[in-house]
Amino acid sequence: MADVIYIQIPFWQLYMFILIPSALLAAVVVWFRRIVHNRSAPGEDPDWSVPPLTDAAGVSLFHRWDVRCKIVTILVYSFVIASLSHLASAMAAMGISLLVLVITRASFAKVVLRLLAITGFVSMFLVVMPFSAPIHNGDTVLVFNGMDWLSFNLRGLQLAATIAAKAVAIALLMEPLLSTAPLPVTLHGLSRLGVPEMVGQMVLLSYRYLHVFRHEARRMSSGMQVRGFRKRTDLKTLRAVGNFIGMLFVRSFERTERVFDAMRARGYRGRFPEPVELHLRTSDLFLAIAWIAVGTALIAYDRIVW
Amino acid sequence: MHISDGVLPISVTVGGYVASAAIMAWSAHRTNSEELPKLAVVTAAFFVASLVHVPLGPTSVHLLIPGLTGALLGPSAFLSIGLGLLLQSLLIQFGGLTALGANALMMGLPALVCGWFFQKYKGRTQLRQVLVGGLAGASGTALAAIILAILLVTGGEDFFGVAKIALLAHVPVIIIEGVVSAFTIGFLARVKPVLLKPTFTRST
Repeated sequence: MADVIYIQIPFWQLYMFILIPSALLAAVVVWFRRIVHNRSAPGEDPDWSVPPLTDAAGVSLFHRWDVRCKIVTILVYSFVIASLSHLASAMAAMGISLLVLVITRASFAKVVLRLLAITGFVSMFLVVMPFSAPIHNGDTVLVFNGMDWLSFNLRGLQLAATIAAKAVAIALLMEPLLSTAPLPVTLHGLSRLGVPEMVGQMVLLSYRYLHVFRHEARRMSSGMQVRGFRKRTDLKTLRAVGNFIGMLFVRSFERTERVFDAMRARGYRGRFPEPVELHLRTSDLFLAIAWIAVGTALIAYDRIVW
Repeated sequence: MHISDGVLPISVTVGGYVASAAIMAWSAHRTNSEELPKLAVVTAAFFVASLVHVPLGPTSVHLLIPGLTGALLGPSAFLSIGLGLLLQSLLIQFGGLTALGANALMMGLPALVCGWFFQKYKGRTQLRQVLVGGLAGASGTALAAIILAILLVTGGEDFFGVAKIALLAHVPVIIIEGVVSAFTIGFLARVKPVLLKPTFTRST
C-alpha cells in the first residue's frame, strides 16, 4: 500500500473546508424550509387514514402497481442500497431514486420535509468523520500549518459522503412507497404478506389518533400561551412541560376507553373490513423483477468494478 | 437521535430486525390481546409527547421519553415504541427504514429496563415516586445513548469519533429528560395515580 499523503495547507485556508461547506448546507436547509413553509397551507395535506372515495388508479406506474410487490421490492432494494460501500454507486442509487420521484410525481414539499428530517443526523457524520477517522496507509490527509492536532482525512469525508448519499437515496423512496396508495391499502398489502393483521390495525389506529392528539397538544399549548407561558431555559419551563405531557397522557388514556367502546358499538370484533381486493398481474411481477435487477446491478458494480 | 439509513453495517441492521421482532412478539404476548387497539391509541399520545421541544440556550432539543413510556406501559412499552418508531420512520423520516430494528432496540430496551426499575422501586409516597420517576427518565435516555454508541461502533474504528460526539450530545438531553419525567410522574401521581401501574399488561 502507498504511504499516507500529507498535503500542507496554510492555516487561513481552513475556512474553505469548514465554513464554505457549512454555509452551503445552511443555505440549502433555509431554502428547503422556505419551500415547506410556502407549501404547507392548511388543508393541503391529504389524510391517508381516510379511505379513498374515488378510484385514483392510473395516475402513474406506481399507483397501478400491486401494493404487495411494491412493499417487497422497495424494502429489498433499500437493504441493497444500505449495503453499498462506494461513493460512486451510492450516488448512482441517489440518481435512480430521483428518477423514481419524477415518475411518481410525488409532492416536492413532502420530499423536502423528509430530507430536512435526516439533515441533522447525516451532517453530524459529514462534520465529524473527516476529523475523527483514523489515518491509514493510502489516505490523503490535509494538515493545516500551525495546527498539528487538526487533520482533515479525505477518506473520512468520502465515507461520510457515501453514508449521506445512501441515506438520501432511501429517504427519497419513502414518498413513492407511501403516497401512491392510501395507507389502509398499503397496510392491507402488508397483512396479505404475512404480517399479523393486528400490526396493520394498530398502525392505522395510532396514525388516526396521532392527528387527534396533535390537535389536542396544539390547543393545550395555545391555552398555555394565552395565560402568559413562554418557553425558556429554566426549571419552570421544564415543570410546565412535565405537566403538559402528564395531561396529554391522562386525556389520551381516558380517550382510549371511549374510542374502544365506540368501536365495539359499531361491531368491531378484532378486525376491520378489507379496503380493496388485490389482484396480482404479470406486469406487477415484471416491474418488481426489473427493479430488483437494477439493485443487483448496483451491488455488482459496487463490489466487482471497484 | 434516530439512526438513519446507510449508517450501520448490513449484518447489524438485519440482526436488529430479528432481535426486535422477537422482543416485539414477547411484548405482544405480555399485553392483554383485547387491549391492543387501546395500546395503539396511547402510542399516538407518546408519539406527540416525543415531538415536544424544550429550549436549551440558543437551540432546542426534543424529548425521547423511553423511560416514561416504560414506566407507564411496562412490558407493553416495547410494542408501543416499535409501533411509534415505524410511524416516525414512515411519516416524518425520523430513523431510516432499514435501521428500524436497530432503532427499536435502542429505544425499547431502555424502556423495558426503566419500566422494571420504576415498578420495583416506586414505593408508596409521592416524593419517592417523583425521584424514582426522574431517575428512570434520565437513565432511559442515558441507556439509549449508550446503545446508540455501541451500534455506531459496530461500523468499525472510523465511527469511534462520531460515537463519542453522539454520546456527548445526549448529556444535556439526559438531564432535561430526568427533570421533565420527574414532573410528569409527580403530576400523574397527584391527578391519576392509577396510570402509574402498567395498564395493558396481562397478569401472570
